[in-house]
Amino acid sequence: MAAVYKSLAKTSKADKMDIDDDAKNGSSSSGVRKNKQRVLILSSRGVTYRHRHLLNDLAAMLPHGRKDVKFDSKSKLYQLNELAELYNCNNVMFFEARKGKDLYIWFSKVPNGPTIKFHAQNLHTMEELHFQGNCLKGSRPILSFDATFETEPHLRVIKEVFTHMFGVPEGARKSKPFIDHVMGFSVADGKIWIRNYEIREVAKVKGEGEEDEEENKKAKKGGDSNQTDISLIEIGPRFVLTPIIMQEGAFGGPIIYENKRFISPNHVRSELRRSKASKHVARQEQTRDNLARKRKLGLENGEVFKDKSGLDTRELFA
Amino acid sequence: MAKKGAKLTAKAPIANKQSNRVTDKKQKVDKRKSNDPPVEADEEEWEDEDSEEDSEDESADEEGGVDFSKLEDINDSDSDSEINSDDDEDEQEEEEAESDDSEGEESEIDVDGLDLDGLDPEEKEELAATTRVRQTINNKDALLASLKRISLLPLDSNNSKKSAPIPFSYHMTLVSSAPTESAIPSIDDDLERELAFLNQAREAALRARSLLKKEGVPFTRPTDYFAETLRSDETMQQVKQKMIEVATAKKASAEARKQRDLKKFGKQVQVQKQQERAKEKRATLEKINDLKRKRKDGGSASLGAREADDMFDVAVDNELGNTTKPGGKRGRSAGDHGPPNAKRQKKNEKYGFGGKKKFGKSGDAMSSGDMSGFNAKRMKHGGGAGDGKKAFSAGAGGKPKGSKPRVGKDRRKAQAGRR
Repeated sequence: MAAVYKSLAKTSKADKMDIDDDAKNGSSSSGVRKNKQRVLILSSRGVTYRHRHLLNDLAAMLPHGRKDVKFDSKSKLYQLNELAELYNCNNVMFFEARKGKDLYIWFSKVPNGPTIKFHAQNLHTMEELHFQGNCLKGSRPILSFDATFETEPHLRVIKEVFTHMFGVPEGARKSKPFIDHVMGFSVADGKIWIRNYEIREVAKVKGEGEEDEEENKKAKKGGDSNQTDISLIEIGPRFVLTPIIMQEGAFGGPIIYENKRFISPNHVRSELRRSKASKHVARQEQTRDNLARKRKLGLENGEVFKDKSGLDTRELFA
Repeated sequence: MAKKGAKLTAKAPIANKQSNRVTDKKQKVDKRKSNDPPVEADEEEWEDEDSEEDSEDESADEEGGVDFSKLEDINDSDSDSEINSDDDEDEQEEEEAESDDSEGEESEIDVDGLDLDGLDPEEKEELAATTRVRQTINNKDALLASLKRISLLPLDSNNSKKSAPIPFSYHMTLVSSAPTESAIPSIDDDLERELAFLNQAREAALRARSLLKKEGVPFTRPTDYFAETLRSDETMQQVKQKMIEVATAKKASAEARKQRDLKKFGKQVQVQKQQERAKEKRATLEKINDLKRKRKDGGSASLGAREADDMFDVAVDNELGNTTKPGGKRGRSAGDHGPPNAKRQKKNEKYGFGGKKKFGKSGDAMSSGDMSGFNAKRMKHGGGAGDGKKAFSAGAGGKPKGSKPRVGKDRRKAQAGRR
């Protein structure tokens, strides 16, 4: 009995250590801490089918994810912290839908931040894209980041958070041992574009130029590995994220980054409406002016123009 | 925060010169307040203050310039606190200092900092509307601190050098060699953009494969390894079906187009072919005629040769007559075609061929003057007029009653012998 207790105590202690490690900065004494990630994936109420399908796609891609039911509140997001703790998750991916059309995705490292809020656009789920690619469910993806991710501090934070969320940790419970897909994260136009490709190894085609040379070099190093070439086939989903804000804590704390280039979709829509309305207003003004001009001439209500100078034909020849 | 920014910008064009300034100032002060409490509380606060704003605007109308100077004071105090707090080691304090720091950056884009007094109020409003009076926060220190807190890999290069290198399979992340955006000529060009993304991913995949092979991590899935895939077989079947559909549709449309084109040019092709055939025929005919002439000229030396020539000529003529239809005109003009065939003859007999057909059976002077069928002897014997045939047929029915039936042949001979 005592032995059982001892072993249990040990494991629980180790778990605690992991969590503590997360909290502390820097590396632990062993050099690299264990990459232990669990992601709580959930949405708010009022998501559209497309948002839901995207969430399902992402959940299918992440064997270390834990999908939960819709979260009821949009204002008390700090409650998510408790929820994540309940499920033993140290990451939260929260889909917040507004007005049944706009999707905001929150990425948060749970115990103590940071939190990033993104606006998601151009959502295309796996199903609707009809791509030919396919991969093992739960295989570990290669995460390919754009070089731009290393330039700015906020992008570096985003990269780190993506690594935790989308990268399947080594030895995750339902992960598969082979690597057959790559996720691409690129920064363009101030947005982050996310793509997912299958890696298909095909017989090598001769005469590819510099790529070939590189390959040959590698072949010398890696032995028989490079008899095949790699071609990528897209799997899906596709989406584009615009970072809006970053908070220091998990769903709280001071804001440490705000994107000034982000324009709220509400604002965009209102501008559109206004520009449309301006046409109507202009027309209205014109009719009013017309009426006023007519009234000035005494032509109101279809009256015939009356010459007051007394030179009207009807008066002259009456 | 985003919410607040949007609200304020929406308000900016409406507010007049003074109130504009005041709201900006307020924004600043509010920011200072709001740095510490979490966002949720923030938003409520903002809403409250928006409602207050109107009343403050009115009071600010009288104050005017005083506000402006106050504002500068606040800016100054900001920088002061920054300096002071930088020295502190306390983390909490540091955070505040950082947030102050960010405010220092904000002042760069503040409209108030510009010299606007010289402008008309209208112009100023326009300027306020076009310049997004949006507070930006980019607290780099805080960002780096939080990055350090969560990063899987040690950030300082010194540290990593000391300890063993971290295997690639631990994190599986790769950073591309060049920024992808530089490879995209236009963000709206879907094809180019996707190609750039694909190239980035491909580069990473190639590098990752060599790295993983080096580390001895299995990469390629063996063909006999079956497991659940990300997309179900059903979906893949659908995708395949869709592809086949698209391919067949493409093929069909191509075929249809081809057919259409053929139809368009078919007539021309036909005419051309006919012309070609006629040309060929003419050529062969000419050749044959040439040959004939040559034979005639060259073969008159001896009689035997001439005979042979004649025979040859007949053969050639026959050939011409059989083969050439366009040459038929010549043949007809020569008048060497034989009688019409049997069927034609019959038909000519039956229906007539050429000449006037009307009144063909009616009597005229010629027919009434024709006495060829009249025989006086027959008239004497009685019976019908006409030839024997007629008499015979009439005799069957209407013989004179007095005449005896004809006797047999032998008796008639004997009678003739007695006479």
